[in-house]
Amino acid sequence: MVLAATGDTWGIPGPTFITGYLVAAALLVVLATLHRTVLLGGGRDAFTAPMGPQQAAYLNGGPRLALYAALAGLRVSGAIGSEAHTGALTTTGPRPLGLTPLDNAVYDAAHRRVRTRDLGADPGVRSALDGLRAGLESAGWALTDGQRGTIRLWGVAALFLVGVGFLRLMAGLQNDRPVAFLVLALIAMVGTAVYLLTRVPVQTRAGRAAVRRLRGEQAHLAPALSPAYATYGAAGAAMGVALFGAASLWALDPAFAAQAEIQRQAAASGYSGSSGCGGGSSSSDSGGGSSCGGGGGCGGGCGG
Amino acid sequence: MTTPVNTPATTPAYGVGIGWRPEIAGVVAGLPGLRFAEVVAESVHPHAPLPDALAALVDRGVAVVPHGVRLNLGGAEPVEAARVTAFAAVAERLRAPLASEHIAFVRAGGVEAGHLLPLPRTREAVAAVAANVRRVQDELAVPLALEPIAALFDWPDDELTEAEFVTAILDATGARLLLDVANVYANARNRGADPLAVLAALPLDRVAYVHVAGGAEHDGVYHDTHTDAVPAEVLALVTELCARHRPPALMLERDGHYPPEADLRAELDAIAAAAGYPAVT
Repeated sequence: MVLAATGDTWGIPGPTFITGYLVAAALLVVLATLHRTVLLGGGRDAFTAPMGPQQAAYLNGGPRLALYAALAGLRVSGAIGSEAHTGALTTTGPRPLGLTPLDNAVYDAAHRRVRTRDLGADPGVRSALDGLRAGLESAGWALTDGQRGTIRLWGVAALFLVGVGFLRLMAGLQNDRPVAFLVLALIAMVGTAVYLLTRVPVQTRAGRAAVRRLRGEQAHLAPALSPAYATYGAAGAAMGVALFGAASLWALDPAFAAQAEIQRQAAASGYSGSSGCGGGSSSSDSGGGSSCGGGGGCGGGCGG
Repeated sequence: MTTPVNTPATTPAYGVGIGWRPEIAGVVAGLPGLRFAEVVAESVHPHAPLPDALAALVDRGVAVVPHGVRLNLGGAEPVEAARVTAFAAVAERLRAPLASEHIAFVRAGGVEAGHLLPLPRTREAVAAVAANVRRVQDELAVPLALEPIAALFDWPDDELTEAEFVTAILDATGARLLLDVANVYANARNRGADPLAVLAALPLDRVAYVHVAGGAEHDGVYHDTHTDAVPAEVLALVTELCARHRPPALMLERDGHYPPEADLRAELDAIAAAAGYPAVT
């Protein structure tokens, strides 16, 4: 039985506080992980449904790679080109048959001589990209913004714990109490909060698995093999860009890629979404289990 | 008369095949009836893992034949031992039923020509090539087929006709013949000769397999480009060849300017129809 000694911060003994704090943190991590695991599953059907090139491109490299995939398909069809001096897109042939809404929007934009870098701002393209994203969400391959917001709430909860720990630390320092374990716990908690707030993937596990499967099935489109895009056609060229990044578009038509200012590095390693940490290189399966927090295993030491 | 070491009767019929190139690996992988393919021997590492696409072909039972282009069988000096070892190792890795090379030289005195160059058709050249072929056969666990190359020009001191030259080498080594019908067509046409007469002079019963390739005419000269469609005349020659002695395998050799997949498949179907083999598409 521990009694509240007069020297205890907030009337709670250090060991009691740190134990409770770590239990709360562990609980939060477990619940956040479970929640992520469920939401990121994507549903059973999502693992078997067929995925198109632009869908794969969006999942793999976001809206920009989806645009590049559309450009590749249209280019192989001979439908679009670029102006040497301005870099603006142009149409060089009739509208091909069997286009996706995004293809159509890009073709229309090319007809108006929009530049590649301005494609994303084109209303028609914008709406086609939104439609593409909505399709990914309903197929269970991508999370909705709402779902991502819900996942992020666990990060807000973690921030709350950071706040509590910080106040306790301040008070403990004022009372001249030992705070070493609390500091360690706080560092872990900050890491957890940052992770939970920023690492909210767009792809579900099903989406990621589908892209990975496609990359295996369509290995012949890897740029290292110098694939004959004329042979594989518009769909093959689009899929090559989707799975292996903008390097495929450069391999397909270097002159066009240069004039159209195609960013050579445009993702080939996963899209982490607009609010991601930037690069989006989350190649782990990102179920959430590898959070940075989890408590420093600091037994029953004193805190505060 | 030397008896051929490997009689054609022992060779199963493979039907129509295709030259495997990384650029069209996806098309080759998608041919359900394919039983025969050829790969440039020097493009396969003798020890590193096979490219996935090639390994998949081998695993599904497609005969993948290494086709050498750098052994220099026609060189004045003996073939380089390291090249022969690598060639044999590649054949083994591919579990190939046979391997092939050209009757040509590609380097002399250490200088690489970058091309397959024709030999003077002399008895001396026959002996030199035969010696090199035997060196390769000593290391190779499977039969070797030899491909005569397009003779762009004739040497002034030629003693033998092309057919005599090739037959003499085959007789001396027991090697088999890799016949390029597009080449036969191109040579005959550009010299105003009858391609059927050329076929008649060749030992057709020793043909291991046949190359079929496309070409194009420029300024009255037919070029065996391997980058154009197979013309109807070459397909007609395939039919004539098969009427005389149908080879166990005929393959489309396409080396660049690859057409849409549908066109490639149509060419394979056309070769199958011309040869009387089942379609592989």
